[in-house]
Amino acid sequence: MKLIIGGACQGKLTYAKETYHIADGWADGRSCSREDLGSCRGVHHFHEYIRRMASSEEQSLELDEIEKQAGAFACTLAQENPELVIVSDELGCGIVPVEKTDRLWRELTGRICTCLAAQADEVVRVVCGIGVKIK
Amino acid sequence: MFHLITGGSGSGKSEYAENLVLSAGEGERIYVATMIPYGEEGRQRVERHRKLRAQKRFRTVECYTGLAKLSFPQNGIVLLECVSNLTANEMYETNGAHEQTVEAILRGIDSLRAQVKHLFVVTNEVFSDGITYDEEMMRYIAYLGAINCALAQRADRVTEVVCGIPVKIKEVS
Repeated sequence: MKLIIGGACQGKLTYAKETYHIADGWADGRSCSREDLGSCRGVHHFHEYIRRMASSEEQSLELDEIEKQAGAFACTLAQENPELVIVSDELGCGIVPVEKTDRLWRELTGRICTCLAAQADEVVRVVCGIGVKIK
Repeated sequence: MFHLITGGSGSGKSEYAENLVLSAGEGERIYVATMIPYGEEGRQRVERHRKLRAQKRFRTVECYTGLAKLSFPQNGIVLLECVSNLTANEMYETNGAHEQTVEAILRGIDSLRAQVKHLFVVTNEVFSDGITYDEEMMRYIAYLGAINCALAQRADRVTEVVCGIPVKIKEVS
């Protein structure tokens, strides 16, 4: 599994397409299903998939629960689709959001990406279109 | 040795910093907690961090404002978390430093550095959401930014934690 993260509009998808030679067949986190994640070669806007997860379930902000859920989700995904390339915005580098669902989304994205990073054989952070391999 | 650890929310920086303390060798492990546990969410966050530290033999010292008044033994291995809370406390608590927040926090950190053998300070990246907030929030962001820059200048090491992975920003050999 490969994880590509970074701020919005930094050229992450272009980087991933070129680096991993995946021209098309990308799932879009804004609209794809859970099943798509298990079968696609790559997914972008992954943080938007997590936003839908965070808003579809009636969730508490119990952090231990979030952490458990994040760990389980990341493990299952890594087993289902070990060659998956995941492109996600890096959230969390801003002021704590006022809305509870936004806080949950931000927290869940951070924890899931941390778990995925632990599973991934490569983690790249894209800054200004340049990939910096951090793992 | 003074090591500054930064990162976004949910980046795994707390756990990383605690592990640094655990591998820092012999000494008294002291955790300086700065978060005033407001509300249910605050209480949960404090509880969670407390659990993570439970078996790691930390003495917890609560300090919401006035860092400079703390006194610690020379063999102390101190973990202070988090500068973003401390900044808000100094700015908004009645006994805080208000307009002198930046100076007060730097004076406090300098005092700790002079006392103990290892100091690990966790701060927060809050600077990249591109939103223009009201004047008060922008002042908070400016204070925290100034403090982070000044601390990084003093630090022997600066690390940013990204998705649980430490990324080296500065290391003085």
